[in-house]
Amino acid sequence: MIVLSVSLALFISAFIFHLIIWRIAKPKKQTKALIKIFLGTLLTGLALIYWFPSFFISEGVSISTTFFGYFHITLLFISLTLAYITTYSGMEVDSPSLVMIQKIAEKGTEGLCEKKFYDALTDNILVKPRVFDLIRDEMAYLKDEKYIITPKGARLARIFLFYRKLLNVTVKGG
Amino acid sequence: MFNDVVQILVPLVCFSINVLVQLSCNRFLRSVGLLKSELIGFASGLLGVFVLELYIYSFQPTLILDLLAIFAANCIIFSSLSYCYFHFVNLAVTARRIRLLRDLYCSHEGLTMGEILARYDSRDMIENRVKRLINSGQIIYKNNRYYIGGPIVLWVSKIILMMKLIIIGKKSEFD
Repeated sequence: MIVLSVSLALFISAFIFHLIIWRIAKPKKQTKALIKIFLGTLLTGLALIYWFPSFFISEGVSISTTFFGYFHITLLFISLTLAYITTYSGMEVDSPSLVMIQKIAEKGTEGLCEKKFYDALTDNILVKPRVFDLIRDEMAYLKDEKYIITPKGARLARIFLFYRKLLNVTVKGG
Repeated sequence: MFNDVVQILVPLVCFSINVLVQLSCNRFLRSVGLLKSELIGFASGLLGVFVLELYIYSFQPTLILDLLAIFAANCIIFSSLSYCYFHFVNLAVTARRIRLLRDLYCSHEGLTMGEILARYDSRDMIENRVKRLINSGQIIYKNNRYYIGGPIVLWVSKIILMMKLIIIGKKSEFD
Protein backbone atom coordinates (compact mmCIF):
# COMPACT_ATOMS: atom_id res chain seq x y z
CA MET A 1 0.00 0.00 0.00
CA ILE A 2 2.85 2.39 0.90
CA VAL A 3 4.64 1.81 -2.42
CA LEU A 4 1.53 2.56 -4.48
CA SER A 5 0.32 5.56 -2.47
CA VAL A 6 3.72 7.24 -2.03
CA SER A 7 4.70 6.79 -5.70
CA LEU A 8 1.39 8.11 -7.00
CA ALA A 9 1.46 11.06 -4.56
CA LEU A 10 5.01 11.98 -5.65
CA PHE A 11 4.13 11.61 -9.35
CA ILE A 12 1.03 13.80 -9.03
CA SER A 13 3.07 16.41 -7.13
CA ALA A 14 5.74 16.43 -9.83
CA PHE A 15 3.06 16.77 -12.52
CA ILE A 16 1.51 19.76 -10.71
CA PHE A 17 4.94 21.46 -10.37
CA HIS A 18 5.50 20.83 -14.08
CA LEU A 19 2.15 22.45 -14.99
CA ILE A 20 2.88 25.48 -12.78
CA ILE A 21 6.36 25.98 -14.26
CA TRP A 22 4.99 25.60 -17.79
CA ARG A 23 2.38 28.29 -17.09
CA ILE A 24 5.05 30.70 -15.79
CA ALA A 25 7.72 30.13 -18.44
CA LYS A 26 8.01 27.13 -20.74
CA PRO A 27 11.69 26.09 -20.95
CA LYS A 28 13.49 25.78 -24.29
CA LYS A 29 14.75 22.24 -23.65
CA GLN A 30 11.50 20.82 -22.37
CA THR A 31 12.47 17.17 -22.00
CA LYS A 32 15.55 18.05 -19.92
CA ALA A 33 13.42 20.32 -17.75
CA LEU A 34 10.84 17.56 -17.23
CA ILE A 35 13.55 15.12 -16.13
CA LYS A 36 14.90 17.66 -13.63
CA ILE A 37 11.44 18.44 -12.20
CA PHE A 38 10.41 14.81 -11.82
CA LEU A 39 13.73 13.56 -10.46
CA GLY A 40 13.92 16.53 -8.11
CA THR A 41 10.46 15.78 -6.75
CA LEU A 42 11.31 12.11 -6.27
CA LEU A 43 14.54 12.78 -4.40
CA THR A 44 13.00 15.51 -2.26
CA GLY A 45 9.98 13.35 -1.44
CA LEU A 46 12.05 10.33 -0.49
CA ALA A 47 14.39 12.45 1.62
CA LEU A 48 11.43 14.00 3.49
CA ILE A 49 9.91 10.58 4.18
CA TYR A 50 13.24 9.22 5.38
CA TRP A 51 14.11 12.12 7.69
CA PHE A 52 10.62 13.05 8.91
CA PRO A 53 8.62 9.77 8.88
CA SER A 54 6.36 10.90 11.73
CA PHE A 55 4.93 13.67 9.49
CA PHE A 56 3.63 11.04 7.07
CA ILE A 57 0.97 9.00 8.78
CA SER A 58 -1.08 6.16 7.32
CA GLU A 59 -3.77 4.57 9.47
CA GLY A 60 -2.20 5.97 12.60
CA VAL A 61 1.21 4.51 11.72
CA SER A 62 4.09 6.64 10.45
CA ILE A 63 5.26 5.70 6.99
CA SER A 64 8.65 4.10 6.97
CA THR A 65 9.96 1.52 4.63
CA THR A 66 12.94 -0.71 3.93
CA PHE A 67 15.64 -0.01 1.33
CA PHE A 68 13.80 -2.30 -1.10
CA GLY A 69 10.59 -0.44 -0.36
CA TYR A 70 12.27 2.85 -1.39
CA PHE A 71 13.63 1.05 -4.47
CA HIS A 72 10.15 -0.16 -5.39
CA ILE A 73 8.74 3.37 -4.96
CA THR A 74 11.55 4.72 -7.18
CA LEU A 75 10.89 2.04 -9.82
CA LEU A 76 7.17 2.83 -9.97
CA PHE A 77 7.79 6.60 -10.05
CA ILE A 78 10.48 6.36 -12.74
CA SER A 79 8.39 4.06 -14.95
CA LEU A 80 5.45 6.51 -14.75
CA THR A 81 7.83 9.41 -15.47
CA LEU A 82 9.31 7.66 -18.50
CA ALA A 83 5.82 6.94 -19.81
CA TYR A 84 4.82 10.59 -19.36
CA ILE A 85 7.99 11.96 -21.00
CA THR A 86 7.43 9.55 -23.93
CA THR A 87 3.87 10.90 -24.30
CA TYR A 88 5.06 14.49 -23.94
CA SER A 89 7.58 14.05 -26.79
CA GLY A 90 4.64 13.08 -28.97
CA MET A 91 2.76 16.24 -27.94
CA GLU A 92 5.71 18.63 -28.42
CA VAL A 93 5.62 18.21 -32.20
CA ASP A 94 2.64 17.67 -34.48
CA SER A 95 2.40 14.01 -35.46
CA PRO A 96 1.77 13.85 -39.23
CA SER A 97 -0.50 10.79 -38.84
CA LEU A 98 -2.67 12.53 -36.27
CA VAL A 99 -2.77 15.78 -38.29
CA MET A 100 -3.85 13.75 -41.35
CA ILE A 101 -6.57 11.99 -39.39
CA GLN A 102 -7.83 15.34 -38.03
CA LYS A 103 -7.96 16.85 -41.53
CA ILE A 104 -9.89 13.83 -42.86
CA ALA A 105 -12.27 13.87 -39.89
CA GLU A 106 -12.99 17.60 -40.46
CA LYS A 107 -14.25 16.76 -43.95
CA GLY A 108 -16.68 14.15 -42.59
CA THR A 109 -18.70 12.25 -45.23
CA GLU A 110 -17.39 14.56 -47.98
CA GLY A 111 -13.95 12.98 -47.65
CA LEU A 112 -10.57 14.68 -48.17
CA CYS A 113 -9.13 14.97 -51.63
CA GLU A 114 -5.65 13.42 -51.99
CA LYS A 115 -4.11 16.59 -53.44
CA LYS A 116 -5.13 18.58 -50.33
CA PHE A 117 -2.83 16.42 -48.21
CA TYR A 118 0.23 17.18 -50.23
CA ASP A 119 -0.62 20.89 -50.51
CA ALA A 120 -1.16 21.28 -46.75
CA LEU A 121 1.71 19.11 -45.50
CA THR A 122 4.86 20.40 -47.19
CA ASP A 123 8.57 20.03 -46.48
CA ASN A 124 8.45 23.31 -44.55
CA ILE A 125 5.95 21.76 -42.16
CA LEU A 126 7.04 18.12 -42.02
CA VAL A 127 10.77 17.91 -42.69
CA LYS A 128 12.66 21.16 -42.08
CA PRO A 129 11.43 21.72 -38.49
CA ARG A 130 12.63 18.22 -37.60
CA VAL A 131 16.08 18.94 -39.06
CA PHE A 132 16.22 22.10 -36.91
CA ASP A 133 15.15 20.00 -33.89
CA LEU A 134 18.23 17.83 -34.41
CA ILE A 135 20.42 20.94 -34.23
CA ARG A 136 18.59 22.25 -31.14
CA ASP A 137 19.05 18.87 -29.43
CA GLU A 138 22.74 18.77 -30.44
CA MET A 139 22.28 15.63 -32.57
CA ALA A 140 23.58 17.42 -35.68
CA TYR A 141 25.26 20.70 -36.62
CA LEU A 142 25.47 22.85 -39.71
CA LYS A 143 28.84 23.39 -41.36
CA ASP A 144 29.35 24.85 -44.86
CA GLU A 145 25.67 24.28 -45.65
CA LYS A 146 25.93 20.61 -44.73
CA TYR A 147 24.19 18.96 -41.79
CA ILE A 148 26.63 16.70 -40.00
CA ILE A 149 25.79 14.23 -37.24
CA THR A 150 27.34 14.81 -33.80
CA PRO A 151 28.74 11.98 -31.64
CA LYS A 152 25.56 12.20 -29.53
CA GLY A 153 23.42 11.81 -32.65
CA ALA A 154 25.60 8.96 -33.91
CA ARG A 155 25.14 7.05 -30.63
CA LEU A 156 21.38 7.37 -30.90
CA ALA A 157 21.42 6.38 -34.57
CA ARG A 158 23.46 3.25 -33.77
CA ILE A 159 20.96 2.18 -31.07
CA PHE A 160 18.08 2.39 -33.53
CA LEU A 161 20.00 0.79 -36.38
CA PHE A 162 20.85 -2.13 -34.07
CA TYR A 163 17.25 -2.49 -32.95
CA ARG A 164 15.95 -2.36 -36.51
CA LYS A 165 18.32 -5.24 -37.30
CA LEU A 166 16.95 -7.14 -34.30
CA LEU A 167 13.39 -6.51 -35.47
CA ASN A 168 14.44 -7.47 -38.99
CA VAL A 169 12.93 -4.26 -40.35
CA THR A 170 14.01 -3.64 -43.93
CA VAL A 171 11.72 -0.78 -44.98
CA LYS A 172 13.38 2.61 -44.71
CA GLY A 173 10.46 3.92 -42.72
CA GLY A 174 9.98 7.41 -41.35
CA MET B 1 13.09 -8.72 2.70
CA PHE B 2 13.09 -11.63 0.24
CA ASN B 3 9.45 -10.85 -0.57
CA ASP B 4 10.37 -7.17 -1.23
CA VAL B 5 13.11 -8.22 -3.68
CA VAL B 6 10.80 -10.67 -5.48
CA GLN B 7 8.06 -8.04 -5.81
CA ILE B 8 10.56 -5.65 -7.44
CA LEU B 9 11.65 -8.37 -9.87
CA VAL B 10 8.12 -9.36 -10.98
CA PRO B 11 7.39 -6.38 -13.31
CA LEU B 12 10.99 -6.37 -14.62
CA VAL B 13 10.91 -10.09 -15.45
CA CYS B 14 7.49 -9.77 -17.11
CA PHE B 15 8.69 -6.74 -19.11
CA SER B 16 11.59 -8.89 -20.34
CA ILE B 17 9.06 -11.57 -21.34
CA ASN B 18 7.13 -8.88 -23.26
CA VAL B 19 10.25 -7.82 -25.18
CA LEU B 20 11.40 -11.40 -25.92
CA VAL B 21 7.97 -12.55 -27.08
CA GLN B 22 7.56 -9.44 -29.26
CA LEU B 23 10.98 -9.88 -30.88
CA SER B 24 10.43 -13.60 -31.44
CA CYS B 25 6.97 -13.08 -32.98
CA ASN B 26 8.25 -10.33 -35.24
CA ARG B 27 11.29 -12.30 -36.40
CA PHE B 28 9.89 -15.80 -36.73
CA LEU B 29 6.19 -15.26 -37.46
CA ARG B 30 6.31 -12.79 -40.35
CA SER B 31 2.54 -13.07 -40.92
CA VAL B 32 1.91 -11.57 -37.47
CA GLY B 33 3.10 -8.02 -38.24
CA LEU B 34 4.71 -5.47 -35.96
CA LEU B 35 1.64 -4.15 -34.12
CA LYS B 36 0.25 -7.63 -33.44
CA SER B 37 3.66 -8.79 -32.17
CA GLU B 38 3.65 -5.86 -29.72
CA LEU B 39 0.15 -6.79 -28.50
CA ILE B 40 1.08 -10.47 -28.11
CA GLY B 41 4.22 -9.49 -26.19
CA PHE B 42 2.25 -7.18 -23.90
CA ALA B 43 -0.44 -9.82 -23.25
CA SER B 44 2.23 -12.42 -22.43
CA GLY B 45 3.95 -10.11 -19.97
CA LEU B 46 0.69 -9.08 -18.31
CA LEU B 47 -0.31 -12.71 -17.91
CA GLY B 48 3.09 -13.24 -16.34
CA VAL B 49 2.36 -10.51 -13.75
CA PHE B 50 -0.97 -12.18 -12.85
CA VAL B 51 0.56 -15.65 -12.58
CA LEU B 52 3.63 -14.60 -10.58
CA GLU B 53 1.64 -12.49 -8.11
CA LEU B 54 -0.78 -15.36 -7.47
CA TYR B 55 2.16 -17.74 -7.07
CA ILE B 56 3.85 -15.44 -4.54
CA TYR B 57 0.55 -15.01 -2.69
CA SER B 58 0.15 -18.79 -2.43
CA PHE B 59 3.49 -18.97 -0.56
CA GLN B 60 3.07 -15.85 1.52
CA PRO B 61 -0.58 -14.89 2.02
CA THR B 62 -1.12 -11.23 2.97
CA LEU B 63 -4.16 -9.03 3.47
CA ILE B 64 -6.24 -8.83 0.28
CA LEU B 65 -5.88 -5.03 0.25
CA ASP B 66 -2.07 -5.30 0.38
CA LEU B 67 -2.12 -7.94 -2.38
CA LEU B 68 -4.28 -5.71 -4.57
CA ALA B 69 -2.07 -2.67 -3.88
CA ILE B 70 1.17 -4.46 -4.76
CA PHE B 71 -0.49 -6.05 -7.79
CA ALA B 72 -1.67 -2.62 -8.97
CA ALA B 73 1.80 -1.15 -8.42
CA ASN B 74 3.48 -3.93 -10.43
CA CYS B 75 0.86 -3.72 -13.20
CA ILE B 76 1.52 0.01 -13.48
CA ILE B 77 5.30 -0.53 -13.63
CA PHE B 78 4.94 -3.27 -16.25
CA SER B 79 2.41 -1.29 -18.33
CA SER B 80 4.46 1.94 -18.20
CA LEU B 81 7.65 0.16 -19.27
CA SER B 82 5.75 -1.69 -22.02
CA TYR B 83 4.24 1.60 -23.21
CA CYS B 84 7.76 3.08 -23.46
CA TYR B 85 8.95 0.00 -25.36
CA PHE B 86 5.99 0.25 -27.75
CA HIS B 87 7.02 3.84 -28.54
CA PHE B 88 10.69 2.87 -28.83
CA VAL B 89 9.83 0.26 -31.45
CA ASN B 90 7.64 2.75 -33.30
CA LEU B 91 10.43 5.35 -33.18
CA ALA B 92 12.77 2.82 -34.81
CA VAL B 93 10.31 2.29 -37.66
CA THR B 94 8.31 5.50 -38.14
CA ALA B 95 9.92 8.52 -36.43
CA ARG B 96 11.00 11.36 -38.69
CA ARG B 97 13.91 12.54 -36.59
CA ILE B 98 15.28 9.01 -36.27
CA ARG B 99 14.99 8.52 -40.05
CA LEU B 100 16.86 11.81 -40.57
CA LEU B 101 19.51 10.76 -38.05
CA ARG B 102 19.94 7.40 -39.81
CA ASP B 103 20.37 9.13 -43.16
CA LEU B 104 22.92 11.54 -41.66
CA TYR B 105 24.77 8.67 -39.95
CA CYS B 106 25.06 6.74 -43.22
CA SER B 107 26.47 9.73 -45.07
CA HIS B 108 29.95 10.28 -43.73
CA GLU B 109 30.40 13.82 -45.02
CA GLY B 110 27.01 15.18 -44.04
CA LEU B 111 24.10 16.23 -46.22
CA THR B 112 22.80 19.56 -47.48
CA MET B 113 19.11 20.32 -47.01
CA GLY B 114 18.56 19.53 -50.68
CA GLU B 115 20.24 16.12 -50.28
CA ILE B 116 18.20 15.40 -47.16
CA LEU B 117 14.98 16.20 -49.03
CA ALA B 118 16.06 14.10 -52.01
CA ARG B 119 16.30 11.09 -49.70
CA TYR B 120 13.26 11.81 -47.57
CA ASP B 121 10.68 14.48 -48.19
CA SER B 122 7.11 15.26 -47.18
CA ARG B 123 5.73 13.13 -50.01
CA ASP B 124 7.54 10.03 -48.66
CA MET B 125 6.35 10.88 -45.17
CA ILE B 126 2.72 11.17 -46.19
CA GLU B 127 2.81 8.06 -48.39
CA ASN B 128 4.33 5.95 -45.58
CA ARG B 129 1.70 7.10 -43.16
CA VAL B 130 -1.23 6.79 -45.53
CA LYS B 131 -0.16 3.22 -46.30
CA ARG B 132 -0.01 2.35 -42.58
CA LEU B 133 -3.37 4.00 -41.84
CA ILE B 134 -5.06 2.22 -44.75
CA ASN B 135 -3.50 -1.16 -43.82
CA SER B 136 -4.73 -0.80 -40.25
CA GLY B 137 -8.20 0.24 -41.43
CA GLN B 138 -8.07 3.67 -39.77
CA ILE B 139 -8.69 5.44 -43.09
CA ILE B 140 -10.40 4.37 -46.32
CA TYR B 141 -9.38 5.49 -49.81
CA LYS B 142 -12.27 5.68 -52.26
CA ASN B 143 -12.73 7.67 -55.50
CA ASN B 144 -9.47 9.63 -54.90
CA ARG B 145 -10.70 10.75 -51.49
CA TYR B 146 -9.84 9.72 -47.95
CA TYR B 147 -12.45 8.91 -45.30
CA ILE B 148 -12.22 7.94 -41.65
CA GLY B 149 -12.38 4.16 -41.19
CA GLY B 150 -11.73 2.74 -37.71
CA PRO B 151 -12.07 5.16 -34.76
CA ILE B 152 -8.98 4.32 -32.70
CA VAL B 153 -6.44 6.73 -34.17
CA LEU B 154 -9.13 9.45 -34.36
CA TRP B 155 -9.78 9.06 -30.61
CA VAL B 156 -6.03 9.11 -29.92
CA SER B 157 -5.70 12.33 -31.92
CA LYS B 158 -8.54 13.94 -29.92
CA ILE B 159 -6.98 12.92 -26.61
CA ILE B 160 -3.55 14.21 -27.65
CA LEU B 161 -5.12 17.49 -28.81
CA MET B 162 -6.85 17.91 -25.46
CA MET B 163 -3.64 17.16 -23.57
CA LYS B 164 -1.74 19.65 -25.73
CA LEU B 165 -4.25 22.38 -24.89
CA ILE B 166 -4.11 21.62 -21.16
CA ILE B 167 -0.36 21.09 -20.77
CA ILE B 168 1.29 23.07 -23.55
CA GLY B 169 -1.47 25.62 -24.05
CA LYS B 170 -1.74 25.33 -27.82
CA LYS B 171 -3.12 22.92 -30.43
CA SER B 172 -0.15 22.95 -32.77
CA GLU B 173 3.60 23.57 -32.65
CA PHE B 174 2.98 26.21 -35.35
CA ASP B 175 0.47 28.24 -33.26
